[in-house]
Amino acid sequence: MRRAPVAYSAIAIVLATSAVACGGSDSGGSGGSGSGEKQTVTLTLTSKGCSPSVTSIPAGPTTFNVVNKDAGAVTEAELMKGDTILGEKENIAPGLSGSFSLNVKPGSYQLYCPGGSGPEKVDFTVTAAASAAPATTFSPQVTAALTAATTGYATYVRQQVADLVKNTAAFVTAVKAGDLDQSAKLYAAPRLNYERIEPVAESFGDLDPAIDARADDAPDPATWTGFHRLEKAIFADRSIAGLGTVADQLNTDVGKLNSLVATVSFQPAQIANGATELLNEVGQSKITGEEERYSKLDLLDMQGNVEGADKAFSLLEPALKTLDPKLATTVRTRFTAMYKALEPYKKGDGYVSYDTVTEPQRRTLSQAVDALAEPLSQVAGIVVS
Amino acid sequence: MVERFTVSRRRALFGAAGLAGAGVAGAAAVAGAAAVAGCSDDGSSADTTSSPPGLVPFHGARQAGIITDAQDRLAFAAFDVSPGVDRAALRDLLVGWTAAAARMAAGQAVADDEAAPQSPPRDTGEAIGLTAGNLTITFGVGPSLFDDRFGLAARRPAALTEIPAMPRDNLDPQRSHGDLCIQACADDPQVAFHAVRNLRRLAQGTAVLRWFQLGFGRTSTTSDSQATPRNLMGFKDGTNNIKREDTASLDRFVWVGEDGDQSWMRGGTYAVTRRIRMLLEAWDRDYLLDQENVFGRTKVSGAPLGAAEEFDTVPLTARGRDGELVIGEDAHIRLAAPATNNGVTLLRRGYSYTDGVSQETGQLDAGLFFIAFQRDPRTGFIPVQRRLALSDALNEYIQHTSSAVFAIPPGVRDDRDFWASGLFAT
Repeated sequence: MRRAPVAYSAIAIVLATSAVACGGSDSGGSGGSGSGEKQTVTLTLTSKGCSPSVTSIPAGPTTFNVVNKDAGAVTEAELMKGDTILGEKENIAPGLSGSFSLNVKPGSYQLYCPGGSGPEKVDFTVTAAASAAPATTFSPQVTAALTAATTGYATYVRQQVADLVKNTAAFVTAVKAGDLDQSAKLYAAPRLNYERIEPVAESFGDLDPAIDARADDAPDPATWTGFHRLEKAIFADRSIAGLGTVADQLNTDVGKLNSLVATVSFQPAQIANGATELLNEVGQSKITGEEERYSKLDLLDMQGNVEGADKAFSLLEPALKTLDPKLATTVRTRFTAMYKALEPYKKGDGYVSYDTVTEPQRRTLSQAVDALAEPLSQVAGIVVS
Repeated sequence: MVERFTVSRRRALFGAAGLAGAGVAGAAAVAGAAAVAGCSDDGSSADTTSSPPGLVPFHGARQAGIITDAQDRLAFAAFDVSPGVDRAALRDLLVGWTAAAARMAAGQAVADDEAAPQSPPRDTGEAIGLTAGNLTITFGVGPSLFDDRFGLAARRPAALTEIPAMPRDNLDPQRSHGDLCIQACADDPQVAFHAVRNLRRLAQGTAVLRWFQLGFGRTSTTSDSQATPRNLMGFKDGTNNIKREDTASLDRFVWVGEDGDQSWMRGGTYAVTRRIRMLLEAWDRDYLLDQENVFGRTKVSGAPLGAAEEFDTVPLTARGRDGELVIGEDAHIRLAAPATNNGVTLLRRGYSYTDGVSQETGQLDAGLFFIAFQRDPRTGFIPVQRRLALSDALNEYIQHTSSAVFAIPPGVRDDRDFWASGLFAT
């Protein structure tokens, strides 16, 4: 779970059957990419809702400037496709402006500016670009390998989420039955599934916070939901009475994730960047022991993140071996070293409790993560098509 | 510092982060405006000063950053080579580091970035638009590199020996020693930090950062043209440092000569670093006369006690009317003086540092990050420090908290050479 309550990371994996590539939720203004023509759409917030300068644009890199002159009730604008937020700018009070940038692809979208007296959503159309941007051309073999990677990754994500649904259901049943020991035992399995595909879940708006927020992520303790709320009850409070609603909600949210990933598809660079993001997760919240602070299962989460990243990389590996064999070898070697670094802490089916891992040991783990993530971060730029 | 012209770093904008995606990668074209006036590549030694303002030549017979006029800021890092890395991979690292360092010293980004929205920029970017600020990047190797990992044991110079434990040492092993070191000095702290940060990034998977020290102000003078700065105790320190103009002393005390036992080190030197924490709260409560007696100098003028001007000869034998030595037996200036150390003197390049508040005591964690260059620590730092550690009046107010020693190989000749190439020569 990311600390910042932002639905989109810079390298989020998104619903991409037809939509956009990656969204920067706050590019901080227009221009500066040096990438040639970039179009601008001005979204004026009014007391009714959104008033875009145009309602149809050609596909391509686009900056949405959100301007609020005097609309007190409407302070945010989002570009959506169905239920998925692709880009947004929040907290635009009267007198303020802001922007977000996206590379939009052809399709039907909605601009969502809630709070006003008019309709909350305005239809927004993206047409095919006048001339396609010159793309990197790959050999047929590489193209085929990359296509296989994208379908393979979608399959993997769906399988992990299906397992997540199954394992969460069993866990929730134990919680609702008030069985503390069984709940503690069944907590680990869905965590592993979730950690393997976390960046995908993060791309769906509020779903990741609902499922995976830590205590300090929740704006209000009363509305804190998800795995970690139950983790605290089971491992710290040692009391799960009255948490049936939270448990049911977790089941529902995981189910939502399952239906959302049914139509998800990926581009090679997204898969690669998602793998890097998984390792950043390790470095940010697992090494420090923040993520599983009550259950001390951080090493299991690490394994999930590393396995998820490994799966993504393995799918890209055949193409990368042609495109940049040296990088492919380096990343593979570093994955091997990463697993080796985790090895000493294995115990039974899982790992030792993270509070037994000393600071120097944590440092060594962190260094293994950095050693892997650095070359891995170079993969996306090579497989981008 | 006056500069007739400034050398700007590459102005390429890396664009709005996150505006990415398939399709634009190929189209995006960040202007590769790398035009930077290069440093003179005429084989001149790095210790000459005929370069454009703001640029110190990287290539030369000796490494820059030793006798180069001390810049205002320091970023010093020690690295350990990662487990499993072999000799070839170590060599690759040094080749890559050298190339990157040469670029940064010339005011360039660490690498030319092709526009690739889906790739992390190769240069981290915080030095874009800044001048090189006389950046020097100096490389060294520690004694631990000569264990059995890389087959280098036979190349270990006898002079490269760990500094023995000294009286009063309170060393933190985590902040001491290291297989490799990088000393980045510049007049802009961000430029110095940028250099270390980018070299560290290039080392991911090959070497890990062991410790890292920032210095915010120079405490040494390495040229007659520089005024003597003050340390955090408010005193002029290093008045009698060796200056780059004094080539005879440099040859005698700093540079490894032809008689060096390892040919790869000839033209190099040895660096000893000590993080010397000053107990500033106690010092600030000490009365002026005592402060001056501790150093053996007048606080404001910097003149030795019993003398009139800063650069006057230190009157080590002068006695007052009471018959006592004007400069006490335990005064710092006496114990550090060449006359007290069989003529031995060190080239110092210290920087004031602070790491904030000591969590244990609530006191300032600040002091001197001491760097001294010499041709052999066994006849340089070690005997001098042993004497100081035993009787220096300053000891009441300082504590040595880290220690390291590094062999500083000779300079990189040209862009086909690399740091410590002689170490790998067959």
